[in-house]
Amino acid sequence: MADTEFLVAHGLRKAFGPFQAVDSVSFTISQREIFGLLGPNGAGKTTVIRMMSTVLKPDDGHISIGGFSVTADSDSVRKLIGVCPQELALYPELSATDNLVFFGRMAGLNGRQARESARENLERVGLQDRARDRVEQFSGGMKRRVNIAIALMSRPQLLFLDEPTVGIDPQSRNHIFETVENLRDEGMTVLYTTHYMEEADRLCDRLAIMDHGSIIGLGTPRELKSEIGNPDRVTLEDVFLEYTGRRLRD
Amino acid sequence: MALSLHIAILELKRYLSNRGELAFSVALPIVLFGLTYAVFGGGVSFHATANIVDLDGGPAARELVRRLDALDTITVRERTLESAESALDRSAILAAFVIPEGFSEALESGESVSLTFKRRGNGGEEGQIVAGIVRSVAQEVGRQGRVRRLAMSALEGSGVPPALIDEWTAPLIADSWDNPPVGVDVQYLEGEESNLLYRVVPGILVMFLMFTITLGSQTLVEERRLGTLERLMTTRLTAAQLFLGKFSAHVLRGSVQSLVLLVPAFAVLRVGGLAEFVQIALICVLVAASVSGLAMAITSLVRTRDQASWSAVFITMFMTIFGGTFFDVGDGLLEVLSRFTLNRYAIESMVGILERGQNLGDMGVELGVQAGVGVCAVVLAAALFRTSEGRG
Ligand SMILES: Nc1ncnc2c1ncn2[C@@H]1O[C@H](COP(=O)(O)OP(=O)(O)OP(=O)(O)O)[C@@H](O)[C@H]1O
Ligand SMILES: [Mg+2]
Repeated sequence: MADTEFLVAHGLRKAFGPFQAVDSVSFTISQREIFGLLGPNGAGKTTVIRMMSTVLKPDDGHISIGGFSVTADSDSVRKLIGVCPQELALYPELSATDNLVFFGRMAGLNGRQARESARENLERVGLQDRARDRVEQFSGGMKRRVNIAIALMSRPQLLFLDEPTVGIDPQSRNHIFETVENLRDEGMTVLYTTHYMEEADRLCDRLAIMDHGSIIGLGTPRELKSEIGNPDRVTLEDVFLEYTGRRLRD
Repeated sequence: MALSLHIAILELKRYLSNRGELAFSVALPIVLFGLTYAVFGGGVSFHATANIVDLDGGPAARELVRRLDALDTITVRERTLESAESALDRSAILAAFVIPEGFSEALESGESVSLTFKRRGNGGEEGQIVAGIVRSVAQEVGRQGRVRRLAMSALEGSGVPPALIDEWTAPLIADSWDNPPVGVDVQYLEGEESNLLYRVVPGILVMFLMFTITLGSQTLVEERRLGTLERLMTTRLTAAQLFLGKFSAHVLRGSVQSLVLLVPAFAVLRVGGLAEFVQIALICVLVAASVSGLAMAITSLVRTRDQASWSAVFITMFMTIFGGTFFDVGDGLLEVLSRFTLNRYAIESMVGILERGQNLGDMGVELGVQAGVGVCAVVLAAALFRTSEGRG
């Protein structure tokens, strides 16, 4: 089992000033697993992803991805990962293709590979007909799909998807959903965060529930459900509220 | 290296997609040069209007007006006495010349006669110069009348018809107008401003190059706002490649911008020949490098668009004002301050080439400062970015 663990995080801590955003977070993700990270607003999910994707240095703890230390060997780690950030990260005045090709080049692809890969990935997210249009003319759902397609340009082994379905219609969401399932079937490992419990239930092999910077629940959806009742009757939403309480956040 | 190239291409693509910035870079320079041309008319020789009131209308008076008008430096505007006086009253003009009634007849009969120089205050600098010119032309006309009269009286009774005398003297008179026996050649003292354009053209070039600071200082702030900076930090791109790419894009943009300005300056305003053109263009590339370096340093230090704008505006204004962009810094405090501006070194080297006929070889210090600032600033920028973002 241990040799299939693609990501290992141990004792992660990160503070912003006096505020402890992430506190002693440890979990592992196996190869070809879709791992869900759930938690209320401000729980620390994005901060964990930023540390794992080499953007932010942890104050303490250790992360390895594919056997490489994220802090000591970030260059090797960057070759393995693809990141779809929570906020859109696109060049609005460029076309969808230009955005993808550019990030493909940043991932080390040559011109032909980058164009080929851009075409494939735009098709994958259903935007092949809008490839040449400027991204600023796209709807919210289309931008979200471009945001995901860019993350795929590096042909990553581990994909970070930080709330990829936020603020979009059911059709777009369903499309993204199917895209992720296809990626898993193709052998990609995925770390997925979302506030939609039915998404997590359908998609994730294992889940971690985070609150106030710490992990307070970890297991398969069924394991988590059986902790509070009959797993065939309770929903993941019940589990989530049980763990994190009903008080408003933020 | 290849990654830097793609960063540079991206930067330029994004710049070119912005119509407003493009218009600013191409249309504005052309408008400015149009204005410069209108003001200087391709040169800086003296030109003035002479306001003349001809109360006489006789042949000598008409001859005077005709000859004044024939001068390159003078355009004659004939007025009635009332119009001239009311224009003087309104300060619409500062000087007018009245040819009195009986002017031609008096000259004919050998009497002395005066023009009236009506002026407001001292008549203005231009008015005084015009007065000098009118006086000398009037005396010339008077002298010719006197020569003709003397010839007539000397030959009186000799049977030579007056028409023949006129026939002899006319070509001599015309020749003395066309080829004056004494001319004045203008020679400029070394370092003296022979042509204002030699300073205005470098001033405009450097001003536009300075805008690179404003444009470039926004780049990382903008990428941070878009979220693309963080995304770039998860790719293989290093800080050095990021800065090298953005720096090169701005050097190229600044250089092309300079060419847009240089071509009309040389083709229309004729500030120099091919050798000067090439040398000035090379200086522009170096200045583009130094300002792009500064822009990179600013963009790696600031966190918001406002911080970027204000820093860029402050630095640009300081260097433009104290760097003697459009005037000579002279001695004293201004000269000391000017040493801390890029403008001074840029302008000095360009003026040296245009005005003093120097070469790039004579400008080691000026060129060294530009190159040094460019390289140091971009290296500093990448280092600052590495420490602040905690990445290698
Ligand atoms: N750069 C930062 N500086 C200061 N505080 C920060 C910074 N980044 C995050 N935080 C704080 O850390 C906490 C965790 O933020 P984070 O974005 O990781 O939460 P999250 O679980 O992703 O929330 P959401 O579901 O709303 O995206 C929040 O309280 C946030 O305000
Ligand atoms: Mg988040």
